[in-house]
This record gives sequence, C-alpha cells and structure tokens, in this order.
Amino acid sequence: MKPAVILVGADKGGVGKTTVSRALLDYLAANDIPARAFDTEAPRGTLQRFHPAVTKIVDVTQTADQMRIFDTLSDTNAAVTVIDVRAGQLSNTLRALRDVGFLDAVNEGEFTFVLFHVLGPSVSSLGEIAEIAPFVTEAHYFLVKNFINDTTFFEWDPKTYSSYFSKVKSSGDITVPKLDEMACEKVEVAGVPFAAFVAGKSGKGDSAQNSFVLRGYVRTWLRNISSELDRVGLRSLLLPKPRRR
Amino acid sequence: MMRRHPVYLVCSPYPRVGTSTTARLLADFHIVEKRPFCTFDTDPHERMLSTYFPAETVVADLSVTRGQIALFDRLLVPSPEARIVDIWTRSYRHFFAQAGDIGFFEEAERLQLEPIVLFVTNGSFDSVDAADEIVRTWPSLPMIVVSDEGAAPLGEAVHDHLASFHTDRNFQIPALDPILRRQIENPQFSLSRFMLYPPNDMSLVVRADLRTWLRSVFAQFHSYDLRNALEGTRYLLK
Repeated sequence: MKPAVILVGADKGGVGKTTVSRALLDYLAANDIPARAFDTEAPRGTLQRFHPAVTKIVDVTQTADQMRIFDTLSDTNAAVTVIDVRAGQLSNTLRALRDVGFLDAVNEGEFTFVLFHVLGPSVSSLGEIAEIAPFVTEAHYFLVKNFINDTTFFEWDPKTYSSYFSKVKSSGDITVPKLDEMACEKVEVAGVPFAAFVAGKSGKGDSAQNSFVLRGYVRTWLRNISSELDRVGLRSLLLPKPRRR
Repeated sequence: MMRRHPVYLVCSPYPRVGTSTTARLLADFHIVEKRPFCTFDTDPHERMLSTYFPAETVVADLSVTRGQIALFDRLLVPSPEARIVDIWTRSYRHFFAQAGDIGFFEEAERLQLEPIVLFVTNGSFDSVDAADEIVRTWPSLPMIVVSDEGAAPLGEAVHDHLASFHTDRNFQIPALDPILRRQIENPQFSLSRFMLYPPNDMSLVVRADLRTWLRSVFAQFHSYDLRNALEGTRYLLK
C-alpha cells in the first residue's frame, strides 16, 4: 500500500484545523486505517493532547523534524501520516515539502498526498487558495468549510468565490457541521478523542460519566463528518483497490 | 420475563388537544396504583405537571442543551420508576429529531426501558400523517392514539378516524362537564387524592360524575397494562 500524507492547514488561525485533524484521526481509526500524526504547534501541541499515543510534536520547517516525518513514511506501520500545520504556516510548509522533494516523489507515484485546506469565513481565506495553488497540482486538494464554531460563509460573493476556485483543481468540498457548544466544550475539557467521548471513555480508557445527550451530539457530528469524507472518496484514495492481474 | 420500565412520551403536534391532561391522568393513575414515577414538563411556560406533581417533576426546556440533558440523561438513569414526559407542541419535532440523532430509543432498549408514544390526535388527516411518520421511523416503538373528547372532540367519526392510524391501541378520554373541568383545573385539586380520599364536602353529583370519568380513563390504563402483561406471559392456560 502506498503511504499517504494528509496535510491539514490554513494560513489563518482559529478556523478549526486541529478539530478537523482530530475528527480525521477518529475517522481513520474507525475505518481500521493505521495512522500517525504530527502536530506542528511546537513547543506545545493541541492535537497531541487529544491523541497522545499517535501524535508527535514537530517543527516542520526544521530539517531534523522533516527527516522524522518524511524519511520514515515507508518504514512506519502507519498507512497514513496526518500533519496538523500550525496557523500561518501552510504556504511555508508546502514550500518545504517541495524543497525536500516530497512533491516530486508524489508526482512519481511514490506517495499519496492529500491536502485539507480549512477555510475561514473571510475573503482572505480565498487569497490563500491562490497562494498555495502552485504547490498542490499533484495533491488531492480538498476545501474544508468548518462550521463547528457557527461560522458563516456569507461574506463570500459567489463571483469572487468562483474566480478563486478556478485557480485551483479541487477534488471537492468537505463540510464540517456545527457541533453543539456544550458538547464541544466538554470534549475539550475531557481531552480525549471524539470517538472516546462518544464511547464514554476517559483518556486512560476507564469509563467516564459523560452526558448521553452530549455523547449523542458528538456521535451524530462524527457520523456526518464520516459521511462527508466517504462522499469525497477519501477511503478509496488512501486504500486504493489492488489491480487485478 | 423481566418487565421493562415504561417511558411514556405524551405528545401531539397540535396545541390544546389534551396532551398535558393525558400526562396528568397517567401520573395520577400511578399514584393511585402506588407505583413509582417521575414526570417531565417540556413546556417551560405552562408547567401543568409541575403544578400538580411538584416533587416528581423535572422542567426541561428542550431549546437549550442543559434542558436536553435534564430530560434525556435523566430518562436513561437506571431506576424502576415509570417516566412520563409531557412533550410540548412546540418541542414535538425537536424532541423526535433529537431522540433520533442521539440514538435515544436504541439506548433505552439497551437499558431495559420501554418508550411508549401516547399520540394525542385532533381528528385531522395531518395528525394521522404525523403519527405515521413516527411509526415509519421507529417501527418497533409502541404507540397508543389518544383522543380527548373534551379538548378535541372527534364526534361521530371517532371510530373511522382511530381506525386510520397504524396502531390498534387507543385511549379515549371522555368529555367532562364544564363544572367538573373547572374543578379539576384548580391547581390545588389532585385527581389521585380525590380517588383515594374522596372529599366529603363535595357535591354528591360532582363526586359521582368525576369518579365515573376517572374510572373510565384508569380502566383503559389498566387494560393496557393487563394486555401487555398477558402478551409477555410465557405460559398461558388453554
């Protein structure tokens, strides 16, 4: 199986990149796809707080850390490597990927490369698309609209929107629905993966007394995200069917 | 066979059809039968159940997450008491949508609870459609169609109307004389206390009529219980 890298990023902060990464790790686990993650929010990482067993904190602009990620892609047991890119570092990270030859390797079919570009509500998010377009010709590029914080995307004029989107070959849009605020807050406080919260487990695997209603909200939310990821064909991208001889 | 604990969901998509009266009668029936119960008011503005059963009632405003937790989490607490939920008309759609989203009915089944819908009709075809929607969504969910002849009279068409529902179980609450209705609407008046300890200072006629009315309703609740008990019996004499 070809190793895959999923980059989750945005140049703007506060758009919910880490939430998307967390949901993605839950989706991969639910589909029995072994995954590891790198949190580039050095020195402290939010993603690592929720998924400590599979997450390492790195600085993706440093050579040593680049080696930790990319030199191990073929050796690791994980089929998928998720990289949660720190706010404002998406363009720089993509540049670094190009410079270390990762994008060329993707072009040669060595790796699968998926980019989740988490958009904010303002037009400045559209500007990011133009900026990263040159780097993503070989990527499966997904635009993620994250409504988890009740974001509205009304600021986007349809004409402006389509003019930006014509600059990049997108594999599709993914919508992350809103999650009930109290449910969101309780998962934050619990510091566990969404799936563990739904299962009523603590970080140590003990049973936790989470509200059934809040677990239900998170379960439905995760199910909806999972449907979205299935809809855009993520599973088949990561686990392509073997060719018949 | 282990008896499952009932969760009565008294509901209607229409206002003023007798939903709260049905919930109240059910709660009083439990008091008369000395069965433990708790009640839930989902109308934060007109709290009928908390007026008559203040100690047993939880008020849960379903428009906010805290209210949803107060209702659904409490309903799922393992305990032998029956649970009676008066679902406010404005919460009707939200209640069933949320119950579906959070997997309430599946969890209730796992916990040996038995949700039972008491659907209060107003005689319209729309109410048949609304009840059908619940039956289609949760085919194994027991449903009883309730007609309150005082609040929403069905008239001569009662049998035809009730026959159009996809359930053969129904309760009919007879119309009550306006004098008696005023009597029972007094916030201080308890139907169960009246049944258990009939007041001496009440008119004989009023007392007799009220007893007849209550007996006819309670007999239907009894009959439903007996039918369920018989259906759950493993061995029957032939």
